[in-house]
Amino acid sequence: MNARQFIYGLVLSVSSLTAVNTTAHHAFSAEFDANQPIELKGVVTKLELVNPHSWLYFDVKKADGSAENWGFEFGAPFSLKQKGLTKASLPIGTEVTIKGYRAKNGLNFGYAVTAVLADGRTFTTGGAPDAPASQAKPQ
Amino acid sequence: MSKPIYFSFHWKFYFSVAFLLLVSLFGLQACQKAPADNKGLSAPVNDIPRLASGKPDFSGIWEATSAADYDLEPHSNRKDAPPGAGIIEGKYIPYLPEALEQRKKNFAARETLDPAVKGYTLGVPRGIYYPEPFQIFQREKDLIIVHQFGHSVRTIHTNNTDHPKDPYDWWLGDSRAKWDGDTLTVDVKHFNGKTWLDRSGNYHSDSLHVVEKWKLIDVNTLEYTATLEDPKVYSRPWTLSVLLHRHREKDFQLIEDYRFTLEYDEHYPPRPPVQ
Repeated sequence: MNARQFIYGLVLSVSSLTAVNTTAHHAFSAEFDANQPIELKGVVTKLELVNPHSWLYFDVKKADGSAENWGFEFGAPFSLKQKGLTKASLPIGTEVTIKGYRAKNGLNFGYAVTAVLADGRTFTTGGAPDAPASQAKPQ
Repeated sequence: MSKPIYFSFHWKFYFSVAFLLLVSLFGLQACQKAPADNKGLSAPVNDIPRLASGKPDFSGIWEATSAADYDLEPHSNRKDAPPGAGIIEGKYIPYLPEALEQRKKNFAARETLDPAVKGYTLGVPRGIYYPEPFQIFQREKDLIIVHQFGHSVRTIHTNNTDHPKDPYDWWLGDSRAKWDGDTLTVDVKHFNGKTWLDRSGNYHSDSLHVVEKWKLIDVNTLEYTATLEDPKVYSRPWTLSVLLHRHREKDFQLIEDYRFTLEYDEHYPPRPPVQ
């Protein structure tokens, strides 16, 4: 690695950190448990693009065939828009796979780190600076 | 003796007739003048503040004196509300049966569930008749409404643009307006379903669509009407209306009113750590 690559790398890291910090301001650890990672696949029932945090609700099929509704916190609408995620990306009735962490209150809520759409596109959805995914250095 | 009496009778008679004639003449004149005088009672149409373009100027600090925020529908007094005649055309909100049940649940738990109690943004139209002032700043291309409660800021676009194609679910919706003579008609949609219409649990969903009409009826009074449509909650569109009064107190201004920070107030400013 020469000096120029090092500088580029530094600039990119700093700017990405700044971007994360400006799009989220609420603590991950207040509501979600970093020791309870979770992955769920379901069918979208509602996408709320609401400030300061968006929420995705989807039905997950249980072993007995009944459906259970889960809600996952996403980042702010504008940060999602910058990543190309809008209402049209997750219409009601489409399949979605969410990776993230469960809520501390034990109810059917969680914090979404990534969302994989039915067509295979993947979005990084969370933005809290203290979330485990944000702390891990992107490679 | 009889002659003077006779004369006196005639004199009184003629005087009375003349008097009545004069009275009726003045009366007639007064009647003819009446329409012109009435015009003076309510301000002439052109006697409202206007922008350089001639459009009405709504700039100022406004507030409703109505008890609407306690309950939009007619209600008698109760522990947490004064009585009110309601501000709805037809008196009651035409809820769908299931939505009416939800409203009853909201009412029962209003003390804790009312979004205003949590300090949330009031939404549209509640922010307009909520009993706190709001200020309008007006330009050709838009009107900015700043609410004292929560310092919510709403933009009403008057630049002939339409609602965005990729909307969010806004707390105050997206407002696009057109002038219809001296009336500003505002189309508001793309709401979230997290706000209420009053503190008694009247509510809407994220499908709410509001059409507002704003009109100055004199220099210091705005007439505000809002027609609400929400197929998930109401069986048909319905309309409410209130009058908004201009604040004219000396040096009147909005004062910051954030509610959701109150429980943290004791921690600010932060004290130095105990050694």
